[in-house]
This record gives sequence, C-alpha cells and structure tokens, in this order.
Amino acid sequence: MGGMHGFGRVEPEADEPVFHAPWEGRTFGLMVATAARGLRAGSIRPAIEVIDPATYLASSYYERWARAVEAQVVDGGSLTHEEIDERAATGGATPVRSEAIDPDLVVAVPGFLDAPQEPSGEAVPARFAVGDRVTVARMAPAGHHRCPRYVRGVTGEVARVPGGWPPPGEEGDPEATYTVRFAMRDLWGDDAEPGSLFIDLWERYLS
Amino acid sequence: MTAGHHPTEPSPIERRVAALESLLVERGLITSDVVDAVVETYEHDVGPLNGARVVARAWVDDDYRARLLSDGTRAIGELGYGGAEGEHLVVLENTPAVHNLVVCTLCSCYPWPVLGLPPSWYKSFAYRARAVREPRAVMAEFGTVVPDEVEVRVWDSSAEVRYMVLPQRPPGTDGLDEEALAALVTRDHMIGVVQ
Repeated sequence: MGGMHGFGRVEPEADEPVFHAPWEGRTFGLMVATAARGLRAGSIRPAIEVIDPATYLASSYYERWARAVEAQVVDGGSLTHEEIDERAATGGATPVRSEAIDPDLVVAVPGFLDAPQEPSGEAVPARFAVGDRVTVARMAPAGHHRCPRYVRGVTGEVARVPGGWPPPGEEGDPEATYTVRFAMRDLWGDDAEPGSLFIDLWERYLS
Repeated sequence: MTAGHHPTEPSPIERRVAALESLLVERGLITSDVVDAVVETYEHDVGPLNGARVVARAWVDDDYRARLLSDGTRAIGELGYGGAEGEHLVVLENTPAVHNLVVCTLCSCYPWPVLGLPPSWYKSFAYRARAVREPRAVMAEFGTVVPDEVEVRVWDSSAEVRYMVLPQRPPGTDGLDEEALAALVTRDHMIGVVQ
C-alpha cells in the first residue's frame, strides 16, 4: 500500500478504545487462543493477504482478521465454513461461554504476550555488510512475501544487519535480513520530500 | 457506546465471530477464559504507559539510554516489558538533527509490549500509503512541523524488527522525576507523528 494515492487524510480518533466493540476483542483473542491450542499454524498475514482486493478495501481491520482466523481454523480441519455459516445465520452476537476453564493456558498465554524474552534473530552468514549498496529485485511474487512494491528495483545502502529469521511463508532455516536505507528521491522522484526511508528486507530480495 | 452493536439486530460480522467462538467452545477446542485473558491483557495491562516509562528512564539515566539504543529488547526487558511483537525491538533516537517516524505499509506491525495494540489511524490505508511518501505532510496533520534542517527518517517495519521512537526530552523538565516525565510521553511521540 506504500505510496498509493486517494485515501485522504489520516484521521486520529480522540480517546480511542483498544477495541471498538466486543467482537473485535473476541477476534483478537481467538487469533491468539487458536494458535495456542494448535488449531491454526503460523502468522495470520498470509490469510489476510489472499483476501481479494475489493473485499480487503471494503472491510474493517478486524473484519479482515476475523476472515483470516476463520480461514486458518478451517484449513486446520477443526470446523467448516458451512457450519460457521449455519451458526451465524441462527445464532446471536454473544458467543457461547465454556464452563470448562484452562488454568495452565490462561497463565501461559498472558506470559507469552507480556514477559521479557531473549531477543529473536539468529546470527547467520550475511552476504552484505553495513555500507554496501544493494538493489531490491524486480519481481511480482504471487504468494506471501514481505517486500513492498514501492522499493522494488531501487538501490539503497545497508544501514543495519539485525539478524536472521526464517523467510516469510517458510518454516526452517533463518536467512539474513538487512535494514536498507533509501533516499526519498530515489523512491519517489525529484519532487519527493527530503529525507530517508529505512526498511527491513530478507537477503533473497537483494543483489 | 459500541457502534453497530444493537441487542435486537447484530451485524453480520458480530454474528460470524460469535459463531466461530461458540463452535470452538462447544467442541471443547478452546475455553472462554483464555480469550478473556488475551482481551484483558491489552485492555488493562499492556499499553503506551510501558513505553513512556522506558522513555523516562532513558531521559534520566545515560547508561540506560546507551543500553536502550544498542540493544532495545534487553534494555526494555530490564523494566519487565517484552513478549509478542516485541521479540526484537529497536529504539530510534530523535536528536536536534534527526526525527524518526514508524509505519507498517504491509499491514500493522507495531511494538505491542511497549505501545499496546495500534490505534485505528496507524492501521488505516491513508497512513500506510502516505507515511512513506510524504511523512512531513502526514505529520503536519498531527500539528507537527519538523524544521527543514532536520532529517526525517521513516521506518517501514516490514520484517521482524519492531521500532519505537525515543523522543527528545522537552526543555524545562529538569526538576521532574521519572514518573512525572513518563506522564509527558504519549503513544504518538513513540510512533513519531508528534515531536
């Protein structure tokens, strides 16, 4: 979405609540709880990104999350879209509450959300070093990736080497990432505002 | 208080999310208390006050500030903060010569342990589209005018690092203690839309 025109002003909301309605909080909570119980795997980003663009733009943030969590739970085999359709047509807005509790998970989940850990990121071999000039690949990948269109084909300079993580959409070996610094005019042309843009990119996107 | 929430006519999305949760609960796949605990964590425990305390500590303790800028995750962990979406935190120092601004153009990456969950405007199409192309114009809409001689640096959190801005300590605050300093720091300072 970086660089697009036509969305208007940024509109802050005074005294904004964390969740605007109970269903937003439940959606967020379900995202975490279904992962903690192994009912869906990995980031919800890939499932958000496959929402068709017209629906994506017409949906609210937590509507997109709800769609993605549902899609991944269905992929995980626990439920079907049809039975969710059926319940949504007949049920109300208040979810059924369990009598059962989960005393271990109810402690473990906030612990995972709210407790210091060792920094993530592996020390992995890195082809580039701070100060190297790098160019982002020209490409049009169809699946999940983390390389925005607006930096593709543009040359910048490695500013930091924060560590390695598994590339998006792949389990397995970590790959070096780089914080690459671009001059705004190299991204947006001679009329650009002055200044710099920093973005983190996996090694596979760079040459 | 909740738009679109009418007892007699729930919206389609409310019914759909309730259907999903109800079915998972009825089959014994999840329990309501775990969902409650997640909601309560971000409604009550984790929010921008955490980040404000980090900033205030950095303003009063030069050694802490140095640790914060060299290894954000561990220094923030010293104050007891960390966890999901804070696994690798980098703190960006505003100076008289540099102003930093954080965005996620791909969706909504944000340092949850220090700032809580992002506000709607941070996740909006307008902010995601414009912060990388015309950061000064966006900041002006927040009433922030960064002098021409100051370099604006925009950080698009597109991979695993999550960023937080360390604002400059305001003038005239020499007599304030850490708690009073923390009260001066807002979420918008730590995203960088205000100075």
